[in-house]
Amino acid sequence: MKKKIWLRGLVGVGVLASLSLLVACGGPTKKTATSTLNVTMGLSDEEWKVMNQDVLPAFEKESGIKVNAIQMEAADVEKKLQASVAAKRNDIDVISQDVNTTAQLVADGYMEDLSDQTKIIPSSTYPIQKQVGVFNGKTYFLPYRPNVEINYYNKTKFDKYGLQPPTNWDELLTVAKTLKAKEGIGRVAFKMSGDVIELVEFIRSAGGDPLNLNDAGTVTALTYLQKLMPYLSADTLKGTFSTTNTFLAKDEVYYMPNWPFATNIIVGDGGRKDILATSGFAGPKEQVKTLGGEVLGVVKGTKNKAAALKFIKYLETKQVQQLLLKKNGWPSFRADVTGTVTGWQAPYYQATDAALKIAQPLPNVTYMPDVNKLINDIFQETCVQGKDVKTVLQDYQPKLAKIKAEAKKAQ
Amino acid sequence: MTTRKLHFGRIILITVISTLMVMPVYLLFKISISSPSEVLTQHPTFLIHHFDFSHWRDVFQSGNIWAPLEKSLIVATGTMALATVIVAPASYAISRLSRKVRFGYIAALFFTKMFPTVGIALPIAITFTRWGLVDSDFGLVMAHLIEEIPFMAWILLSTFSAIPKALEEAALVDGANRMQALRYVVFPVAAQGIAVAAMYVWLNSWNEFTFALYLSLTTKTLPLEVYYYVQRGGFFETAAYSTLLAVPVILITFVLQRYLKSEYLSGAVK
Repeated sequence: MKKKIWLRGLVGVGVLASLSLLVACGGPTKKTATSTLNVTMGLSDEEWKVMNQDVLPAFEKESGIKVNAIQMEAADVEKKLQASVAAKRNDIDVISQDVNTTAQLVADGYMEDLSDQTKIIPSSTYPIQKQVGVFNGKTYFLPYRPNVEINYYNKTKFDKYGLQPPTNWDELLTVAKTLKAKEGIGRVAFKMSGDVIELVEFIRSAGGDPLNLNDAGTVTALTYLQKLMPYLSADTLKGTFSTTNTFLAKDEVYYMPNWPFATNIIVGDGGRKDILATSGFAGPKEQVKTLGGEVLGVVKGTKNKAAALKFIKYLETKQVQQLLLKKNGWPSFRADVTGTVTGWQAPYYQATDAALKIAQPLPNVTYMPDVNKLINDIFQETCVQGKDVKTVLQDYQPKLAKIKAEAKKAQ
Repeated sequence: MTTRKLHFGRIILITVISTLMVMPVYLLFKISISSPSEVLTQHPTFLIHHFDFSHWRDVFQSGNIWAPLEKSLIVATGTMALATVIVAPASYAISRLSRKVRFGYIAALFFTKMFPTVGIALPIAITFTRWGLVDSDFGLVMAHLIEEIPFMAWILLSTFSAIPKALEEAALVDGANRMQALRYVVFPVAAQGIAVAAMYVWLNSWNEFTFALYLSLTTKTLPLEVYYYVQRGGFFETAAYSTLLAVPVILITFVLQRYLKSEYLSGAVK
């Protein structure tokens, strides 16, 4: 009997404690009303200030729709959508997504087909920008903010060794060789740790096609990279968009491309005014940069589609685009939005503007994530392990053909 | 002479280990209050020569600190409290079972720890999303308990197993009932182990990242805020936020270290 009372007491204490905690912690936060839009964006503190103070309040006032703008990196958006789609309970309405990560979202079926909403796209949009969200003839994303990497260099070190930022592949090799000879270790780096953006630039600059991977251009690019590799910094194999800032600011590397947000971190916060930027260098065929930036999409199954489209339309207006150019230094996708950035940021903006003129998006195919893996593997085998370029490319052809065939079957 | 040498060697060893452990925190703090020119160089100085508190001012003025700090505190404390309430009695009961059954329980508990968090995070996130637990403190506490309950049970099983049964029996002979024996004899003796386990649970929950990433939308915990600054912010803001993340850990450890006395049980049974 005593034992039973003791057990009941113990269970009672446990239940009471659990309930009190449940009450203290609270359930889910306040549910969003139908007139509230959840929008994800990946912005820096400075960019959030502009968004929260200048862009969103005007829309909320004008439309009566509340916008819940949520900080989320592109890679995390996919995870969230995976969970919410599988749970059939979607909390995100609009995503402002990195243009080079959209293929997977489309392939997974997370995005609303906006083909009947293309009238939202302003007529003054640059032709290439109209195409960035189109997959298999259907429009899933609408243009918003084009972006492109610029090539940062350490002017102090370049001046010290009598170097100029490279304008072609020969000069790049000379710069890399000189810096390695002078300092004993490689001081030129690229981001080749899984990100294919710069690898694709090399392939395209030599006239290659990243969806073919067995043409003369790809062979030329990989052969050149094999030659360049011994003179590059070891950071090439671990560089990401965030670590690149540290490499440049701490003088670990003297030449490395990155997205323009790095300017505020390295030069603005870090005070490294001797780190300048150019639009990059040309390959044997032409100069090509990979188009980046963000596009806007509506998540499939949202109950707020009309409000979502209204918000997208607002972000695409000339007035908002002009504001984002002026305050954030974001180049616009609209040809009628002009202006320039003044002050210390001006040369970096000019480099970005010049790079955007020669930028091309990664191929708009839903199987691009699989091709990215192949490109990375090919790079590892040829440039890191030093295998013969033509043999490796030949070996990868059946894999590429299989990926394409499976994608065709899935359509 | 040999004893003195041994003592001296021990002090040196402790000093080296302590220095290695404190160094990362010092470097974080140092970067957060140094001027850029002192940090952004190939050979940064070890000591601080030019103090610059503007990074901390920016962090506090940004308005991004208090909500994540509050959420992290609520979730870590909630996880710790709930885990203790559930696990302490359960572990005591398991510890009094036969050796074979006890082993079965331990094996079952550790079965859940065999899978990496990142592997189970998605299915858990799907279930919790279906239950409307995204963005709620309670949802995150529940998610953290999945990881922490087996861990705490493992620690407390050893603690309760080490308490001689004779101690309870003596209390029962003296007229105490089972509940009183547990409350006045077993739990006080086990307080050291419970405190250590609770501290570990609090620290694990405080630092947890994967579940927080999946189960947060409009609100963030402090590790998510640090992650944001690592991705998007400057070097100094990242260092300031990381220091903030480390400070409560140091304080909690400092406060609870009094329970980490050895030979706590000595003399309990006469």
